[in-house]
Amino acid sequence: MNESQQESAFVAELTGMQMPLRLYVQSLLPGDPATHDVVQQANATLWKKRGDFTLGTNFKAWAFSVARYEVLNYRKQQARDSRLVFGEDLEQTFAEEIAARDDDTERRHEALKGCLEKLRPQDRELLLHRYTASAGTLEDYAQRAGRSVGGLKVTLHRLRNALLGCIEKQLPPLEAES
Amino acid sequence: MNPAERNELIDDLIEERISEADFLRLEAELSVDPAARAAYYERVQLSMALTEHARQMPAKKAPMRWKTTPSWLAMAALWVALAGIAALLLRPGRTDSVAEVESTANGYAALVSQVDAVWAGQAGAMADGALLPAGIVKLESGLAQVELFSGVRLVVEGTAEFEVLSPMEMRLTQGRVRAHVPETAHGFRIHTPEGDVVDLGTEFAVNASAQSSELHVLQGEVEWHPHAAKMQNMVGGEALRWQAGGDHAAMTADQSRFVGLAEIKERHETAQKNRRSEWLRFSEQMRRDPRLLACYRMDVSDSGERMVRNLASTPAAKPGAGAIVAARRAEDRWGMTDGALDFSPAGSRVRVSVPGEHGSLTMLCWVKINSLDRLYNSLFLTDGHEVGAPHWQITQDGRLFFSVKKMEQSEKGRRDKHNAFSPPFWNTSLSGQWLMLAVVYDVKAGTVTHFLNGEILSSETVPDDFLVEDVRIGNASIGNWSEPAYRKDAEFAVRNFNGSMDEFLLFDAALPATEISAIYEHGRP
Repeated sequence: MNESQQESAFVAELTGMQMPLRLYVQSLLPGDPATHDVVQQANATLWKKRGDFTLGTNFKAWAFSVARYEVLNYRKQQARDSRLVFGEDLEQTFAEEIAARDDDTERRHEALKGCLEKLRPQDRELLLHRYTASAGTLEDYAQRAGRSVGGLKVTLHRLRNALLGCIEKQLPPLEAES
Repeated sequence: MNPAERNELIDDLIEERISEADFLRLEAELSVDPAARAAYYERVQLSMALTEHARQMPAKKAPMRWKTTPSWLAMAALWVALAGIAALLLRPGRTDSVAEVESTANGYAALVSQVDAVWAGQAGAMADGALLPAGIVKLESGLAQVELFSGVRLVVEGTAEFEVLSPMEMRLTQGRVRAHVPETAHGFRIHTPEGDVVDLGTEFAVNASAQSSELHVLQGEVEWHPHAAKMQNMVGGEALRWQAGGDHAAMTADQSRFVGLAEIKERHETAQKNRRSEWLRFSEQMRRDPRLLACYRMDVSDSGERMVRNLASTPAAKPGAGAIVAARRAEDRWGMTDGALDFSPAGSRVRVSVPGEHGSLTMLCWVKINSLDRLYNSLFLTDGHEVGAPHWQITQDGRLFFSVKKMEQSEKGRRDKHNAFSPPFWNTSLSGQWLMLAVVYDVKAGTVTHFLNGEILSSETVPDDFLVEDVRIGNASIGNWSEPAYRKDAEFAVRNFNGSMDEFLLFDAALPATEISAIYEHGRP
């Protein structure tokens, strides 16, 4: 492989694992909307360090360790005392398991679309509005929606359960590779 | 903790509403229970997917969605930044301004593979894997697979004229493009002379020209925004043909008219195979060259077989087969499995025996170097270090090094041979690339010439006192050194080559540079 082939192999590796990378970073920063920025920062760092990477070795493991470093950096910048952070061992387990997992993001996303259609329109709207960037905290949202935080929390939880149940049913079993 | 409670805590965590006590309970559960972690990933994934979905929703009404999604702007900005960084990192020795580099690569897309592609203008001869140049690119003929960093994969058929404007946007003024758009890149847009196509997933093709154009939706759904009429949605199986004036007619989509990813892959592989068979034909002729002493092709088909045959057909005193020691089978320069030997395992070598006395010599091999780990990295070393014996190796600082021992060392420090070094040719960016190395020892002219990829690296005259006219090889090793006398000095004696080799040629003559260059041209993958 020449330099540009390696370059493009690297690009292919990098683009091919964006979803697992996001999942990993988000699992370390649950609920944090900054995940996206941290992932981009990790991408930039990976690109800068691509000379350190030998093609054919475990790209995900390497990328995840770089991403975790960016997460630590981000936490440092935030310096939020109140933040609850998982122990290092557990974070390492996340990395290993997510790296080993089939990337089913697209299939789940596709299934999710169908499942959202099955919700009552008002439920669907409530749920999706919760996930728009401007929704803010659950409190803000509850206030605007004119509902109690507790009630809203329960409703959202119930809706997510319903969606996950539906997605599971829609997902065709992965065809065994022969 | 039962699953229902656990899931509730996970959602609390994702909503950033969990108490510290609950967090610790959840963490304990996650630490010990794989099912709990699976549930955690699933719910994190769901919240990501919902966020994504919520972000895309308003776009149903506003097809310009990708412009309003900050993540894509961020991604585009990232790649612009990366292109700059890449340009700097890739060309450490160059002092040319970044501006020059920026004007040549757009950082949005890479050329993944091409089949018989002829590019016009600044694109020139692009190598597979190159970043696509900025500005309008013209493919005169042939096929190209282009991958945008958004994940969009395009097959472009020449003649085509296009420009990639961002990872999510391109302009096509002429030619055929088939686009495969993954979920993550929905909203991908192609500007054509008659209007814009916006993808809603997953595969469509456009054939554009100044007079009339066609849009075929192969799968999924697209939005068609003609300049002269209202937007319309089209789904898989539908196609449209429209004229420059605005007239249009519905048709049935026909995917057979557009080359897809599978086909270009197949054609690329076929092209590669053709190059390989061309090389084999050329090689077949070369094997009958009376100057060829040995041709070791390292394609050991049966893993139990530990010999490489000498394919040279004519020499009277023909060196026999080489015996493989430790080296593992590896992919050759054509990507064929088991076509090469990997010499990185300790002790790896191919043992050969070359009878007779020789004058001029040419040695040539195709190698893929992982790294230069040793003080001396062997290409071809005769056993021990006898008078009249040639040594060909690479020094740790990346120079080719050739010598023929002239005399026994009469006293310590006194030279016993002339060492011909090339300038350093190696840097780590060459790691993993297939290279053709060659050295020509010309007794008549009294010169040693080093070659890399068919081109002369250096040529020097051997002082008369050190010119050896009777070269004897005898037992030798490819890729290592067999020398009992130095066995105790590991640094000196361990010379195994950290890399792969798929072919080694030895000629009983000094090949002219034009022939070395021809071998490279016919043999490069």
